[in-house]
Amino acid sequence: MAVSYAQHRQFLRRYLQPQWLRVVLLAALLCGGIGLQLATPQIVARFIDLARAGAEQAVLVRLAGLFLAAALAAQVIAALSVYASENVGWTATNAVREDLALHCLRLDLPFHNARTPGEMIERVDGDVTQLASFFSQFVIKVLGNVVLLVGILVLLFRAHWSVGLVYAVFTVATLLLLRALMERAIPFFKESRQAGAILLGFLEEHLSGTEDIRASGAVPYVLRRLAEAMRTQLEKTKRAWLRGTMMWATTAVLLVLGNALAFGLGTWLLRRGLITVGTVYLFFHYTEMLRRPLEQITRQMQELQRASASIARVGDLLALRSASADGPGMLPAGALAVEVERVSFGYVPDDLVLRDITVRLAPGRVLGLLGRTGSGKTTVSRLFVRFYDPTAGAIRLGGVDVRDVPLDHLRARVGLVTQDVQLFHASVRDNLTFFDPTIADARIREVLAELGLLEWMASLPAGLDTPIGPRALSAGEAQLLAFARVFFKNPGLVIMDEASSRLDPATEQLVERAVSALLRGRTAIIIAHRLATVQRADEILILERGAVLEHGPRAVLAADPASRFATLLRTGLEEVLA
Amino acid sequence: MSTGRVLWRLLSYQPGLFILNMALWTAFWLVPLVMGLVTRQIFNAITGGAAASGTLWSWLGLLVGVVGARVAINMAGVAAWAEFFFSRAALLRRNLLQRILSRPGAKALPDSPGEAMSRFRDDVDELLKLVEMTVDGVGIVLAGLAGAAIMFRIEPFITTVVLLPLTLIVLVVALLRQRILRYRRAAREAAGRVTDLIGEMFGAVQAVKVAAAEGKVISRFRVLNEARRRAALRDSLLTQLLEAIFVSSINLGTGLILLLAAGLIRAGTFTVGDFALFVFYLGLVTEGMTLIGNFSARYRQAAVSVQRLLELLPDDPPGRLVAHQPVYLRGPLPAAAAPERAADDRLERLEVRDLRYVDPATGRGLRGVSFGLRRGSFTVVTGRMGSGKSTLVRVLIGLLPRDGGEIYWNGRRVERPAEFFVMPRAAYIPQVPRLFSEALRDNVLFGLPPARADLPGAVWSAVMERDVATLERGLDTPVGPRGVKLSGGQVQRTAAARMFVRRPELLVIDDLSSALDVETERTLWERLFALEEVTCLVVSHRRVALRRADQIIVLKDGQVEAEGSLEGLLARSPEMQRLWRGEAGQESAGPGGTAG
Repeated sequence: MAVSYAQHRQFLRRYLQPQWLRVVLLAALLCGGIGLQLATPQIVARFIDLARAGAEQAVLVRLAGLFLAAALAAQVIAALSVYASENVGWTATNAVREDLALHCLRLDLPFHNARTPGEMIERVDGDVTQLASFFSQFVIKVLGNVVLLVGILVLLFRAHWSVGLVYAVFTVATLLLLRALMERAIPFFKESRQAGAILLGFLEEHLSGTEDIRASGAVPYVLRRLAEAMRTQLEKTKRAWLRGTMMWATTAVLLVLGNALAFGLGTWLLRRGLITVGTVYLFFHYTEMLRRPLEQITRQMQELQRASASIARVGDLLALRSASADGPGMLPAGALAVEVERVSFGYVPDDLVLRDITVRLAPGRVLGLLGRTGSGKTTVSRLFVRFYDPTAGAIRLGGVDVRDVPLDHLRARVGLVTQDVQLFHASVRDNLTFFDPTIADARIREVLAELGLLEWMASLPAGLDTPIGPRALSAGEAQLLAFARVFFKNPGLVIMDEASSRLDPATEQLVERAVSALLRGRTAIIIAHRLATVQRADEILILERGAVLEHGPRAVLAADPASRFATLLRTGLEEVLA
Repeated sequence: MSTGRVLWRLLSYQPGLFILNMALWTAFWLVPLVMGLVTRQIFNAITGGAAASGTLWSWLGLLVGVVGARVAINMAGVAAWAEFFFSRAALLRRNLLQRILSRPGAKALPDSPGEAMSRFRDDVDELLKLVEMTVDGVGIVLAGLAGAAIMFRIEPFITTVVLLPLTLIVLVVALLRQRILRYRRAAREAAGRVTDLIGEMFGAVQAVKVAAAEGKVISRFRVLNEARRRAALRDSLLTQLLEAIFVSSINLGTGLILLLAAGLIRAGTFTVGDFALFVFYLGLVTEGMTLIGNFSARYRQAAVSVQRLLELLPDDPPGRLVAHQPVYLRGPLPAAAAPERAADDRLERLEVRDLRYVDPATGRGLRGVSFGLRRGSFTVVTGRMGSGKSTLVRVLIGLLPRDGGEIYWNGRRVERPAEFFVMPRAAYIPQVPRLFSEALRDNVLFGLPPARADLPGAVWSAVMERDVATLERGLDTPVGPRGVKLSGGQVQRTAAARMFVRRPELLVIDDLSSALDVETERTLWERLFALEEVTCLVVSHRRVALRRADQIIVLKDGQVEAEGSLEGLLARSPEMQRLWRGEAGQESAGPGGTAG
């Protein structure tokens, strides 16, 4: 997955610039920490030499004290720089998450229909978490360790050029070898992670399906499949672990060879009087210090590759554009006149769901929309809020084409209550206001009072604070909540897909009252499932196979025995509509 | 069940593998002691003058040899550890899943599946981590103890003065560890809230769009993100602090050695080699003490996990969690076939007497339901919403635990319905069936050997034949996680095919109407009626089903309101009249929520 250098730079600039001060502080901390890390072994070396030379106690004690101070300071700075880098990383990636989530929420429905919420969690959180390494780990672990490595080599050169040279060659060779090993190990680690994910997915799915498994007598089968999944995980992970151990082993062997080299070379130089015993100790100490940067640089290069893949995927998402452009127009205030002008629509080309529909509805009128499953009722409702745009024709509200007004404005003026009410695992209040803390409780009460729902709310265990979730409410109660949501916006057109399931009498009464409140002074289109609602409508429209079969004032149609509507009334809705 | 007992049962599963791992990993952690001793000799040889040159090379050779041996031990150790680790993971997960699947299906979990999943993943991992710490820990602690002893023999005074403050520091760290686990859990929970919200905002994307609430939801997201950042930073800061204390304690020790050894080095009684060894061993001793601290914190943490895992098995003795049994990571897999039909499995008559069940949450349920049905008959259970229809069939076949009443199969009492009403005696379609991410074929067969199954027949009976023909890969089509690649109606018919292919004595169907359009549902009923020798118990309010019923049971408030043929009931039962005319007439015109 090729990600250009420019793309990386753009990303860094966009998300790091707002916190440049922190970034500068981080860089300062890093440099300070590395400097101290390099300095402490020098102190020990000097101490050894002075002690062996019989220096004064006071001098030695001062050196020991200096060592302690430097070591402590190095540690504190190291901790602070990790903290600072994580802070930068979290701030940046949270900004990415928010931008990405908002961007995706605004994308069209077909985008969402093709993706499960689980997949979106992976794209918005999983990928971005990978990015965190790009923002924070990269700086700390790659840049920091490279500087540390170079520093060690420079100091070794300073001790004696031959030692510096040998170590430079040794370091480069080790890095190359580790890199090659890592490249070869990556596919194995991927497979291992994959096997783990499959096992967890298997468990998740089957824990959700206990009823089906029991009732089908498939328990032995499921346990066998569990054994298979675990067997695969063992196989793949074992291979990956052994590959990982290869890398550890390589570093260990190379380092002990390096140590032997340091001792050998050190002794040779010592015998010639070119260096002191303290310097030999320095070689030993620095060789030990090389281990971490070597390992971490190798590991982080791989992390970086993964981060690159994530940047590419995040970039792909951000590059998607919503197909529905809008204009700067405004809809008039009050109840909206509805004009549907020769509208045709298909979800896929060449398969029209709506054919050449023309309907006019005066402001304040209520239209009852009837039709069999698949006749296009729900599709019509979606065009009004521009989940989709007509393939041909136009929809005008209050004389203005819906494509000419900003989406937010359109959706604030058109209230849509779908049958499937989508809820959050949150309090009633948050479900009503979509987490808007600026809406006061008084305002919520006002809306609920208008809908006649105050009593219902009082009956909830903790009032507005009652936690609810997608399955915690009955269908009727969920609809009540959806009405209240619409009421907050004061729309000029209300479109309702009635709950089709039977409601208990108490809820039914509440729903009726709320609908009355909702329709007062508004234009409305109701996809009707019940006789009660049909009686409320001023006009009736019956769709069949995406075309208008019948449209007219309810009273007129009901009085005409030849009309389809009259037939429906006679036979009851279920047997005919279904 | 105590954590120690759980730990021991986990360790001692497959004792040979346990001993092998203990031996390899203890050796692995003890080798550094030798490396320290050799390094000391090397320094002594270097400072010892030209005479020691010869021995220097042999010491260097030995150092390389020792490291080589450690690498070899590590390789063998990792291979053995993978077997050890995964067989224990498998034991826990298999025991858990096995027991969960033996419970009444609708009440198998104490909470949501997602919540149970976190126990399967995180709590099992927690126990495994304790196992890992034990296997590693013995060697690490021994190395620390031996290291301290060797240091003491070389220079008792310095050793005592250096190790005392070190012990204190490690104790403090051990106390802080408690907090770190708490912070980590807080960070994990904060992360969970963020991912939950992402899932929900995209699950409810239509509602968000309709309300033009994208910005508001993102504001909420920002709040949770910020909380997560703070929790993560707090966790990280404490981790860093502990790391800093750990490294600093080694440095502090080194500094103390420098201070105390200054005079001795000058006098020549404490060599550079001794110094190198002391610095090296300080690391080992600190690590050993840190491990003890960590272990005690983990141990307490694991107690919580043991508790949470035991909650998944409320009906079993606690020992069941770690009961030793094969996990099949090697060798042949266990048999998966359902049992063959036995002679007395043949259903002649099923009788239910005074069945009772109370839902703990709503207080609704069954208040003494009795009925009977005969071989080859078609029985429909109907009633208003909340009258107990679904509950009745689910209690009958053991998906819910009954609170009272008896069930007789051919006059013989059924003690454990959950184990009794399975293949080949009964099969069931729930209202919202579940599919699994396998091929369509495997979802239908669901463990049944293909040789024993009439797959095309089952597909036809379930009105799936046209779908199968249009699917790109037919029966081999993968249906995706939970069957997402199929429509709701296809999922329900797949479940029907799953039932038909089992050719059970009794078919139990809980309301097909929720995802099927009426035309398809009617066809399905017709094909069902065409099957020979089936006995059906069906929850429905559809006229097509009611008309065909040999017997209708009308439920109201968890009791049988009326029972008999359609004609008779329409003549005398007001509830039935209501259901048939009034309510049935006003009812759904089919699922209107699906794409028009």
